[in-house]
Amino acid sequence: MKKETLTLQAYKQAPWRAQLQWVGAFLLVVIAVAAVAGLYLSISGRSAATGRRIQVLEDDINRLQRENNDLQTLLGEISSSRALSERVGSLGMRQLTVDEAMYLEVPGYVPATGPSLAPPPTIQEERTPILLPEFTDSFIEWITEKLQAVPDPARATEVAP
Amino acid sequence: MSEPIKNRFLIICVICSVVAGIVAFQMIRIQNIEGAEKILAASENYQGVTRLVYPDRGSIYDSRGRLMAGNETTYEIGLDLNSVHQPETVASVASSVLGLDYAQVLGYARMEPGNGNPYYVVLDDFVEKDKIVELEIIKEDYENRVAKGNETIPSISGLMWVPHSQRSYPEGTLASNILGFYSYLDRTGGLGYFGLEEAYDSQLSGTPREVYIAFDPQRLTTVEEVPPGVSLILTIDREIQALTEQTLDDAIEWSGSDSGTILVYDPEDGGIIAMATAPRLDPNEYWDYDELFPNPNPYNSAISQTYEPGSVFKVLTMAAALDSGSVEVDTMFNDTGSITIGGATIYNWNRGGWGMVNMTECLQYSINVCMVWLATEMGPDTFYTYLKDFGLDRKTGIDLGGETNWPLKLPGDNQWYEVDLATNSFGQGISLTPIQMAMSIGALANDGRMMAPHVVKSLIINGQQYDVDPVVVGTPIKAQTAHDLTDMLVESLQDEASNALVDGYTVAGKTGTGEIATPWGYSSSETNASFVGWGPAEDPKFLVYVWLEKPAISPWGSEVAAPIFSELVGKLVVMMDIPPDSIRLSAVPQTVGQ
Repeated sequence: MKKETLTLQAYKQAPWRAQLQWVGAFLLVVIAVAAVAGLYLSISGRSAATGRRIQVLEDDINRLQRENNDLQTLLGEISSSRALSERVGSLGMRQLTVDEAMYLEVPGYVPATGPSLAPPPTIQEERTPILLPEFTDSFIEWITEKLQAVPDPARATEVAP
Repeated sequence: MSEPIKNRFLIICVICSVVAGIVAFQMIRIQNIEGAEKILAASENYQGVTRLVYPDRGSIYDSRGRLMAGNETTYEIGLDLNSVHQPETVASVASSVLGLDYAQVLGYARMEPGNGNPYYVVLDDFVEKDKIVELEIIKEDYENRVAKGNETIPSISGLMWVPHSQRSYPEGTLASNILGFYSYLDRTGGLGYFGLEEAYDSQLSGTPREVYIAFDPQRLTTVEEVPPGVSLILTIDREIQALTEQTLDDAIEWSGSDSGTILVYDPEDGGIIAMATAPRLDPNEYWDYDELFPNPNPYNSAISQTYEPGSVFKVLTMAAALDSGSVEVDTMFNDTGSITIGGATIYNWNRGGWGMVNMTECLQYSINVCMVWLATEMGPDTFYTYLKDFGLDRKTGIDLGGETNWPLKLPGDNQWYEVDLATNSFGQGISLTPIQMAMSIGALANDGRMMAPHVVKSLIINGQQYDVDPVVVGTPIKAQTAHDLTDMLVESLQDEASNALVDGYTVAGKTGTGEIATPWGYSSSETNASFVGWGPAEDPKFLVYVWLEKPAISPWGSEVAAPIFSELVGKLVVMMDIPPDSIRLSAVPQTVGQ
């Protein structure tokens, strides 16, 4: 008996086998959709949480900058000329006169120049997306980018010995 | 599968297909209806928000890096009407802590948002931190309470406090004439007025930027940092400024003067070390401006008020005469006590004559007739060319807001008469600001090079510090002329045993007593008393210009202004680390330290 005939006979005797295949295929599709949806939800959830954390950190930066300004101003008030004069006066100190000043020759002495107050340079960031392109590009775009990123051996530049 | 079951499946399939079809149709229809673009635009509001971020205003520091103007946090108090649950509690707390009107706050708190009513109401602004701390304690206390039975826990939900920056001047009135002020109460349209705040307003303010903050996680981007405004480092030394202001205040009180100005100027690079004027405003309370400076009182008389300087001007006439070769240092002049020019007779200040005098004695005795003779010897063309070379026909261009000048009358002008040549030669009939005088006379203390006066030494732009290079405005006289004139003025002060002399230091200088023009002619009793001096004579590190307006105890600059110069310089040399002549001149060059 031919193989095809045997298969047809088997399905005629137990039609649930065909139904099982349909159910299996349907479940496969459902599982695939659920997996993609789950992955999407997971990434969206994580990126939302990351975004929120970044917002909190940016708020912290702003708050710290304000606190820094406040502390600088407070320091300025505490060490202002008027405040220092009062403190110096209360300590019984007074300004030096010409007669009291003692001058010494110091070979090689270089008088202090002006202050250097520039803060450390800020990080010059490009405005970049937080999510990697892998999560926002289409599959074809992703493949294209990866292929473009592969170096061409034929165009490799010489390395100096 | 039986027939009924098949039919049921068929019906379910058809229903599902129809529903799916309707959904698809509706999706396509919504995307193509007339209002589709509006719906899309509205949806953008839920994806993110664009905010205009104002950068912090740049700070101002003195020459040693001490803060003169900065920013501090203050708070706006508002009501989010959607979140208010207990209007009475909110009104009660706002009234007791912030001192706001209970009924007014209650009215706002009971307002239904929307339908023409706002969603957010500003109750107060520029509230200090300690009030906010009180509010935070109350809020935390309410949130931590546990309800017992039917008790209602009080809540100030809806009451909000939002931080923002406010301009702050920790030194108060110190150097306020230089700093100017910023109208910080106007949060979006604030402007800098006078001084540095006006001259550098746009740089200090920085550039506001629109920043997009995405709510959609797929569109999240790092929020762009808005660089702060430009910060300034000044040539002003805070301690010397304080000393100069104190000296001026004492001088005004002692002499009974109406007001005054003292400038401490670095002739080598044109930097202003101190600039004191009176009165001075506390820029933290700038709204007192109108009361403190009723029209026409200038905010900073050193740059905004012209006056007839009188005899201090004679150093410029003598410099022009020597430099042009019209006379030499040892040229003799026979002073008869008067000279007639343009139909007018000019007399000396004491109405007497000094006989045969040399050029040094002309300066020492401040002989008007000698100066008129010098001007006529030079001729108007040469004389006024020198005045223009000294920059007296224009503003100095100092980097402060509010500088003014008085036009210099020149031969050929409708208002110029021959007698003006005479009166101008000894500083009358010509109006100048103290900064013009300091800049021009600074050339005599700097080998003939005239430097542009400036207050800013460095700028901090986006984290980088840039130094401002000194600018040579011109070289109105030769170096030899400058040295000769300095020597002459040193000699004249010493021979005269002037009140301006400073123990241990050789200084050059000249007094000035300018009569004040009134509707009835010049007044001899009301004068402008001045003194200009610089030192150490062999290598000047400072030039001090003193001007007292209408001193009551004496009209003479030699009796009023010269002692002020001596007193100030006696302290200045210590603060500037300048050793006395005996040490400095015997030391190995460039190895002297304190």
